[in-house]
Amino acid sequence: MAGQIRKLLDTIIEKRSKGNPTIALTTKTKLIFKGFDADNFNAGSPDDPAAIEKIKAIAVDLGVRL
Amino acid sequence: MPIRVAYSANALPEALWDLTVKAGDCNPRVILFFASSKYDPAEVSRAMQAAFPEACVAGCTTAGEIADGKMLRDSISTIFLDDEIVGQTASALVEGLSSQVSVGGAFSKMERQLGAPVSSLDIEKYVGIVLADGLSGAEESLMEKIGDRTDLLFVGGSAGDDLKFAQTHVMLNGHAFTDAAVLLLLEVKNGFDIIKTQSFGTFGKTLVATKVDEPRRLVEEFDHQPALAAYARALGTPPTEAPSYFMKHPLGLMIEKDPYVRSPQRVQGEGIVFYCQIKQGMKLEVLEGTDIVAHTRSAIEARKASGKPISGIIDFQCILRALQLREEGRCDQYGAIFAGIPTVGFSTYGEAYLGHINQTSTMLVFQ
Repeated sequence: MAGQIRKLLDTIIEKRSKGNPTIALTTKTKLIFKGFDADNFNAGSPDDPAAIEKIKAIAVDLGVRL
Repeated sequence: MPIRVAYSANALPEALWDLTVKAGDCNPRVILFFASSKYDPAEVSRAMQAAFPEACVAGCTTAGEIADGKMLRDSISTIFLDDEIVGQTASALVEGLSSQVSVGGAFSKMERQLGAPVSSLDIEKYVGIVLADGLSGAEESLMEKIGDRTDLLFVGGSAGDDLKFAQTHVMLNGHAFTDAAVLLLLEVKNGFDIIKTQSFGTFGKTLVATKVDEPRRLVEEFDHQPALAAYARALGTPPTEAPSYFMKHPLGLMIEKDPYVRSPQRVQGEGIVFYCQIKQGMKLEVLEGTDIVAHTRSAIEARKASGKPISGIIDFQCILRALQLREEGRCDQYGAIFAGIPTVGFSTYGEAYLGHINQTSTMLVFQ
């Protein structure tokens, strides 16, 4: 199954921002600083297990339940 | 006036007399000061707090100061914020940056001071200020931990020491610290904005960091090639000449077409050490320097054109920008951008806004 990375990143942004566009942008920026730019992934991006584990850990750090 | 700025180049204690006189009848709730490393940091911090015992007093050492439209050296610049500008205030210290960054204790302390969890604070009404030891090498981790903890915006800079690169200090409530960061949370009654401005365009080349040593801020390879050679190739110059391009051609982490600058510092072997971390896999634009004065003026004019008032500005400006302005003989032109606006700031060893960045001015604008 592909596309999981983008889906996870979008979920983090959505849940952290709760519809606030300012927080959505700052969350996206924070993820980029952590090494994950959502725009670099799409529904066809392969699911890299190591990257997925890192993103799950980032979600914990950001207080987001995936 | 709810905001006053002042500076003095005198030695202590005369400098404090100068600042006290210039504070006038201002009854500050918060004072931020930026002091040349020529002053004993413990002494200046103690003296500032003693002169204004009722205020929250925080500051740091610098690589130059900004006040009253002037770019200064060997002085203390200060901003006084009274209770027309600032409501609730909280402050805390994060210590031991170089061993492991932990902000939980500092945030808990600030929450006790505010009587509310930080998560409950309105991001439009509260802003954070961060002053970090500029030689800790830990600013990235600090900003990351802060950003994990809260959506409140923190802006600030890394303390300097007049380009000696020996020891920098942050100061809070009469004391001075190394290997630490000062965090402030301010309720800004009339609102605020943050301006991040850096004077670069894109050069049309990108580099992907494929092998890095993050804690050392070292990129060993771009695009699976030795980093120095790859950087040089992007600029069309021999690797031996590449260091002369560092200042004008840093790299940019592009976020919504806005560069967050990563400045090359020095060559190490076949790699390049930067002034901030680059993560494995980061795609970076090669940037090209433009006119600092014109760009900054444009940013301030755009803010003025918004129609919102400007009561004062704190300018956390990269020392690399200050050095370029000094070299170009344009410090007066830069200062003139802020004519009529109470402005204070300092030349930093790095700027803070969502992360740790370089060759940028991050400004806190009080409405």
